[in-house]
Amino acid sequence: MAGSASVLSDGSLLSRIDKRLEKLEWVMAFVSGIGAFMLMVLAVVSVTGRNFFNEPLPGYVDWIEMAMPLIAIFGIAYVQRSGGHIRMDILIGQLKGRVLWFFEFMTTFFILVLMILLVWGTWSHFDRSFDFSAPNWSRDSSIDIGLPIWPAKLVVPVAFSVLSLRLVLQLIGYGRALVLGLDRPVAVPLVQSAAEIAAAEAEQI
Amino acid sequence: TEWNVSVWGKRRAFTEHIHKLAELVEEKTGGEFTMNISYGGLSKNRENLDGISIGAFEMAQFCAGYHADKNRAITVLELPFLGVANLDEEVAVSHAVYAHPAVAEEMAQWNAKMVMTSPMPQYNLVGTGDPRDELSEFDGMRVRATGGLGKAFSAVGGVPTSVTSSEAYQAMESGVVDTVAFAQHAHLSFGTINQADWWTANLNPGTVNCPVVVNIDSYDGLSDAHRAAFDESVDEAIDHYLANYGSLLERWDSVLEEKGVQKVMISDDELAKFREVAGKPIHDAWLADMAAQGLPAQELYDLVFSTLEKQRMSN
Amino acid sequence: MTQIEIGLWVTGGMFVLVVLGMRVAFAAALAGMVGLIWLRWDQFGYDPDRFGKALEISVKIAGQVPHGKVSSQALSLIPTFILIGYLAYYAGLTRALFEAAKRWIAWVPGGLAVSTVFATAGFAAVSGASVATAAVFARIAIPEMLKIGYDKRFAAGVVAAGGTLASLIPPSAILVIYAIIVEQDVGKLLLAGFIPGIFSAFIYAALIITMALTLKNFGPPVKGFTWKERFVSLPPALPIVAVVVIIIFFVYNPFGGDAWGTPTEGGAIGAFIVFCMALWRGMRLPELKDALVETAKLSIMIFAIIWGVLIYVRFLGFADLPSAFSDWITSLEYSPMLILVCILLAYAVLGMFMDAIGMLLLTLPVVYPAVMALNGGEFVSAADSTFGMSGPMCAVWFGILVVKMAEFCLITPPIGLNCFVVAGVRPELSVQDVFRGVTPFFVADAITIALLVSFPAIVLWLPSLA
Ligand code: NA
Ligand code: NA
Repeated sequence: MAGSASVLSDGSLLSRIDKRLEKLEWVMAFVSGIGAFMLMVLAVVSVTGRNFFNEPLPGYVDWIEMAMPLIAIFGIAYVQRSGGHIRMDILIGQLKGRVLWFFEFMTTFFILVLMILLVWGTWSHFDRSFDFSAPNWSRDSSIDIGLPIWPAKLVVPVAFSVLSLRLVLQLIGYGRALVLGLDRPVAVPLVQSAAEIAAAEAEQI
Repeated sequence: TEWNVSVWGKRRAFTEHIHKLAELVEEKTGGEFTMNISYGGLSKNRENLDGISIGAFEMAQFCAGYHADKNRAITVLELPFLGVANLDEEVAVSHAVYAHPAVAEEMAQWNAKMVMTSPMPQYNLVGTGDPRDELSEFDGMRVRATGGLGKAFSAVGGVPTSVTSSEAYQAMESGVVDTVAFAQHAHLSFGTINQADWWTANLNPGTVNCPVVVNIDSYDGLSDAHRAAFDESVDEAIDHYLANYGSLLERWDSVLEEKGVQKVMISDDELAKFREVAGKPIHDAWLADMAAQGLPAQELYDLVFSTLEKQRMSN
Repeated sequence: MTQIEIGLWVTGGMFVLVVLGMRVAFAAALAGMVGLIWLRWDQFGYDPDRFGKALEISVKIAGQVPHGKVSSQALSLIPTFILIGYLAYYAGLTRALFEAAKRWIAWVPGGLAVSTVFATAGFAAVSGASVATAAVFARIAIPEMLKIGYDKRFAAGVVAAGGTLASLIPPSAILVIYAIIVEQDVGKLLLAGFIPGIFSAFIYAALIITMALTLKNFGPPVKGFTWKERFVSLPPALPIVAVVVIIIFFVYNPFGGDAWGTPTEGGAIGAFIVFCMALWRGMRLPELKDALVETAKLSIMIFAIIWGVLIYVRFLGFADLPSAFSDWITSLEYSPMLILVCILLAYAVLGMFMDAIGMLLLTLPVVYPAVMALNGGEFVSAADSTFGMSGPMCAVWFGILVVKMAEFCLITPPIGLNCFVVAGVRPELSVQDVFRGVTPFFVADAITIALLVSFPAIVLWLPSLA
């Protein structure tokens, strides 16, 4: 579930970088949240405009589609930082010490490889819609009011790049724990039992 | 050789030429060259051109209006009131424009080569309530129409309202829009005809243009025999499409009757007024805009009308 | 190797990664990416020189998915529904609902438990998430039940079970996700959840009343509220009614006129009402900031699974696996109803170990076409179909069934998250206590599911009007 796992910190360089990156990640997640709020405002404007002034918002759907990547993807690194992406922890919840860090290291490494490939793929998706010499730099436009789409497409590789940075930090964190045999390493989300997750979930409400 | 072909929705009149092409090619090559036609499994419809450029699949269909900036040159074919009267003319005009070097050059940027068009009849309106058969009644009308058509309706005071084609039925039912502009087959497959009280038989404001393209590398990589089989089959595939759509159009009147939809004829005076407001000015704006972007706009525009003329003389 | 074999290997690999604890979203995306590369390289005859090309094409195909699939108007319902839930808390709607339910219905046997069930059903109308509903009511309802002598395990069970109603009664994030994955009308699915949700609530209530009448020393009814007290309790809970009415009217107008708009707009207007209410109740900028960041986190987590799974689905499209699976299912020589029941039971087992959204997203791309094929195809008419309903109606019916299944799994051991949440909120309760207390509700849920399977009309009546 999307509760926040605990991430420990100390005065080490790793931990300080973790804190610094977290600030950026929080801002990005907040922007996603504002996007969700704007979605609501946009609908209110559209419905009142249509029903009371016979003046529907031109390009309502276009604007929603432009905003969605910002809402749905931009803050992804913040969720990863707190271990918020869901997983099945029935096995990993039983593990301790070096075995646990080994599994965490491996799965995080796989995610990093995936994300680097996806930065490449999503950048190329953006790049095909972007043309420096075209009006509005646009080589792909929305269906109704012809908004250039490249800004929305650019959101994705940017978000994934920050996520990749976050994954590198977590790899270092797990790597340290694996080598040094640490019990409570800093800068990585610590595995919580289902009960702990539930407690954190309840805490938010 | 097996080609993947990306289209969307479900099999309908709009995709019949692709099935026919696949069938003919397979037959002519003794089963050596086959096509696997996928409805939405390989790409989202608005990204088919991207898929071609990546090399994800070898052949695809797309519509110019989905993303004008990807295919500026062929948007000339979506201008309102070009005066295209039937599907044969639509094919002639489209293929003439597709053959223009400016179009080929723009498609080459996507690693794509034009194969054929998917000709569609004029996008007439269905609507609810009292028929709107005078221009003044278009004022304040919320109409689902995209691209050049949307511009045409807003020129007479209509309010183009964006809903996707799959939401069109619900938008009409819920009063988000009063009217929807589609070709006949789409009024059928998206169900807007079931919601309608009337249909404009002769408004004929224009249509959308949806070509079928191939990936250039894949096309060039075909053996000579396979490429010949492919090239030879295109005209036959289009003929099949036209015959099939023709029979759908023949059924159209009985569909209207069955659904209790009134056929609305708009007077010549009103049509002339509409053309005057929504035709010329929009054409001029398109010419200026595209010329400013370095396209041979006037040439493409003239090509449309000279081809129309030629097509009419030959009949 | 055939495409199907590659498809099966990759799918197996994905489940191994998921079991090893890799985040579901990324496990699915990685499986899809590897599968795309494998397929393409297979096509190139495993020529080492062309591996780079296979990689490039596959990476670019996968790179289209996150932006392309997320940019959808229908999916914009998800953040909106999540936002409503967070705002509803600040609007004080939960306590108001419980208070009103108590004053109006607690006079029946087992009254406070019945009130809790209906209050959770009411809260479900502004909350899209079961777990949040259970957490909120564990705080409010359990202490009151304990005060008048309810068994603590039973009190906990009522709340854990009541929480599951949130995913059936609209708004429901999980129903929107289902609709998107299977490409069906979101509005129809949301409407379809309404009656089964209320129906579940009544079955729970019937169960509680039966227990109160047959067992000794079972929680006594609460009597003695005056009519004045009852009516006074209504206004604070009214925004819920407003939200329900608005969402329904934006999907379908029960009085036969035009609906007021699209579900997307309805959800957003509902959120706006709750937002105004929360402002009025004293929500200020810091609380709003929290609500927005929490909304973003939950939305992003759900969307990550959506685009991750859709990369895997894009690979399935190239590998043609779903059609192979549905060919296999339809070739089985068992009765279609038996196969359907087996599929539902498989969900019950899988749901014991997996999160509901992850489970549905991972399995539906393959299972859904098979179920549609069982019924006779996506475009089949009711008359020609196996289950006696048209293709789109079958999609709605199956959707409600699997969502009800997934909700059932929220209260079953070993992972039933609702039970953990309730135990987490109440210091006096252990997880075992909650699991024991919720056991009677398994019976209620089993009855509900059996009835929904046997009488599809319970699900389909409302959407068939729209
Ligand atoms: Na709900
Ligand atoms: Na506890």
